[in-house]
Amino acid sequence: MLFRVDPASSVPLGDQIAGCVRGALADGTAAPGERLPAARELADSLGVNVHTVLRGYQRLREEGLIELRRGRGALIVPGATAPDRARLVTRLREAAGEARELGLTEAEFLDLARTALD
Amino acid sequence: MTTAPHTAALRVPFRLRALAALPFALAAVTYVALLAVWSDRLPDPLATHFSYGGEADGFTGRAAFTAVGAALLLTLGAGWTVLVRRGALWGAWLTAGLTGTLLVLVVHDNLDAADPADVVSPLSHLAVAAAAGAALALAGHALSRLVPPEEHEGAGPAVHPDAPRLDLGAGELAGWSRATASAPLTALGLLFLAGGAVAVLLGPWPLLLIALAVAVPGLALARIRVSVDRHGLTVRSTLTPRPRVHVPLDDITAADVRPVDALREFGGWGYRVRAHRSGVVLRSGEALVVRRGNGREFAVTVPDARTAAALLNTLVERRGRL
Repeated sequence: MLFRVDPASSVPLGDQIAGCVRGALADGTAAPGERLPAARELADSLGVNVHTVLRGYQRLREEGLIELRRGRGALIVPGATAPDRARLVTRLREAAGEARELGLTEAEFLDLARTALD
Repeated sequence: MTTAPHTAALRVPFRLRALAALPFALAAVTYVALLAVWSDRLPDPLATHFSYGGEADGFTGRAAFTAVGAALLLTLGAGWTVLVRRGALWGAWLTAGLTGTLLVLVVHDNLDAADPADVVSPLSHLAVAAAAGAALALAGHALSRLVPPEEHEGAGPAVHPDAPRLDLGAGELAGWSRATASAPLTALGLLFLAGGAVAVLLGPWPLLLIALAVAVPGLALARIRVSVDRHGLTVRSTLTPRPRVHVPLDDITAADVRPVDALREFGGWGYRVRAHRSGVVLRSGEALVVRRGNGREFAVTVPDARTAAALLNTLVERRGRL
């Protein structure tokens, strides 16, 4: 899968890396169960700090899109629903961005999300 | 042989071919001349095969052995003359030195033997032949300086205008990485591993070494990671970071994606080296193919090769602009 980051962008590099994985999962260039490159390797490829990559991988783990195993690296979660989950996370982040632009507080956004669930 | 599109056309200078043929001609002439000079001191048939202890256990008529030895040298010489490259000229001299010395030593062992069955050829002759081969390899390496470096025909635009490219911003950093696996190689590796285990329990233990010699490289190549980035193209086993195959970005003139035929183009699976191309071939099908500065091709079979080729072409062109 292709990783591309722009240091000039306002989005943190780690988030950009996470975005690459979400995008690849959503458009099928990365498959559920696939192993991601080791953080150190990817950092060297892109010329960024290894902690930057780890921040991106950590975010993907919190989103339930990858599994991080000590010594075994990062693995995209197996299962057919992973691409849909990646799309959902992407839309959620877009919604959060719009909320921020509208000046909504965190509590207001979460209230909105809760009403959407009812 | 079918010519695949984008096959690197190399112009091998005549002088290089002559220098590749030379050691074989010298060896063949020496060999035949010595047989003629020694003809009244040699038995017929000659002792031509020896046990580990050095005692003769195989015999060949003198005329037949003369023909076989000369034909062997000339065939090897013809092969090297056709396939030679500047960087491999030493290999021709090594081959000729090793083969020629072994043939001459066998004949020499037969000198003044009343009965060919009494002829003894010590195993140390192999070391003598290896030393002679090494000396000639050095000579061959030195001689390759007489040949100008090979140049690729047609120095037009390196990357074809229609080749895939990536829309990459000037400041954007990019890398591509993909793991790929070969089920047949995995099966082969596991089969030989199991065979090795059985050999330890039931058979002579050296069989284990043979089993491991197939199983370990097989399993190492069964799962590989291919990465493309600012350093170039890297192929390594997912089991271990080294050894790896690396083509530096500076050595890449263009990249493309095309289907490869494992048997027809590479003669099999695994890490393959051919006259004008090399490759890590896990299956027939989609492959990332890079053209190197010396005109040779390197191919690796990997899914989504188009994206990898596009990134490489973009990086190559970006390098050109800097």
